[in-house]
Amino acid sequence: MVVATPLEAAAGANADTTPMSTQAQAIALLDKLGTIQQSPHWPNVHPAAFMQNLRKDVEQPFSIYEGRSTNFCGYAALSFLPLHYDPLGFVGFMVKMYQEGKAVYGKAYFEPSKEVKRGAGRLVFKGELDIRPADQMWFMVLADHFKGYLNIFDPHYNPGDENRLWAAVNLAKFCRMIRTLFNYNVSAVGSDLFRPGVRDMYEYLSERLKTGHLALFVNNPGLYRKDHHKLKVGVPTHYIILLNVEEMGDRIACTYWDYGGRTMQLLSPDILKRIVFGIIHITRKSADAQ
Amino acid sequence: MRSRYYHIMAVCCAALLLGSCATRKIFSTNYYHQNEKVLTDIEHSYRAMYGKRPFSLEFTDKSFNNISLEIITDSVKLIYDFEVHEARLQDTMQKYRLPAEIHQLIEQMKSIRCIWINMLDYYTNNRRETLVFMSIRNVAIHLPFTPEKYYILTFYAQLQYYDSEGRLLAGRNLRRVRKINDEIFMRITDKVCYTISGRFR
Repeated sequence: MVVATPLEAAAGANADTTPMSTQAQAIALLDKLGTIQQSPHWPNVHPAAFMQNLRKDVEQPFSIYEGRSTNFCGYAALSFLPLHYDPLGFVGFMVKMYQEGKAVYGKAYFEPSKEVKRGAGRLVFKGELDIRPADQMWFMVLADHFKGYLNIFDPHYNPGDENRLWAAVNLAKFCRMIRTLFNYNVSAVGSDLFRPGVRDMYEYLSERLKTGHLALFVNNPGLYRKDHHKLKVGVPTHYIILLNVEEMGDRIACTYWDYGGRTMQLLSPDILKRIVFGIIHITRKSADAQ
Repeated sequence: MRSRYYHIMAVCCAALLLGSCATRKIFSTNYYHQNEKVLTDIEHSYRAMYGKRPFSLEFTDKSFNNISLEIITDSVKLIYDFEVHEARLQDTMQKYRLPAEIHQLIEQMKSIRCIWINMLDYYTNNRRETLVFMSIRNVAIHLPFTPEKYYILTFYAQLQYYDSEGRLLAGRNLRRVRKINDEIFMRITDKVCYTISGRFR
């Protein structure tokens, strides 16, 4: 069975409108597809596990998980948008990619390398990602296609590269992926090395949240301490989706998505300012928007 | 004058060498056997408490007076920082129905310099299993400019399989070495493994 691509599905709609669909539409498509045949293009992705994974992505969009010790956090973070606002487009793309080994998503044409096709479904020791072959496929397809300057030294996939520079996502690449794939307006402050010049971080974030979605490019050890080294390299290494900020006494309660779930953490304004290197503001394009 | 300089240099090098040996002393399987009873108690009590309300616990300072408590509810993970004897800790425990035995766990962890305890999931033949992950901090003086190392222990509910070098394997029929947090683990007992890592979680 051949599934329409998001482009085909959106045919007739305004080309410069962010495609939107509902969870019910995506589930209806999965129900209609039922069981599918083993793909010759993805020998290590079992069709039943693939469909089960897609269903879980659609039914529990917060559950998408980048895996332990991988560099897939950027790809998992941007998945927040299609899984919440266009799951039909996501499912359509994934099924077409599985069946035909190539597909179009937004303005990007994907034809992954043989190494990626062999590698998907074989990632292990990553926690729940081990049993989510469709998510492995999705992350690896994105990492294989989109390249930034961090990927120059490791442009081709070899086993184990999911933990290395092959999968790394710099700030500009993250923004480019969202624009290309999902057709959102994306604006960002900050960089891969220097923090944004935002005086009142709480004020800035809460204002931006009122008008769109926010992804933050943060220094992960600042958020989750993993060692006690006194000399730390202050660079951003992790993407999160900020869901809410709230002042609680002298602290700021940040609710964000990462690692397959929502987290609420109390941070001092100083720490928040120190860990945020990039603030990505994402808004929908609509035909009637100015 | 010159020979005196060489003598001083030789003494300093010897002191550095001895110092580096001292910091590694804790990182041996002896640690497990010396503290086996407390470690086993912690593992069992943590598993029991986790079953009632999932959480993880971290000591955030070298003096073991401050903790970070991660409480996992159905919809969100909450991360709070406390001083060990702070009243706010008790209030939060009551609010989220955390068992009172956590106080005892905190004291036990402190007594063996365990700075992090968590439950991790791993998969064998597509089946989800869990392990208890504990990190021990070496509080002895260590050399400046050398990264701190942590002694990591993992406790399994099932018997594990190892190769001839004592490395943890992915399963009975899988000769592949299992990695946890990208680290190779070594056998202590059939259900307990260790590694030495630059990261405690």
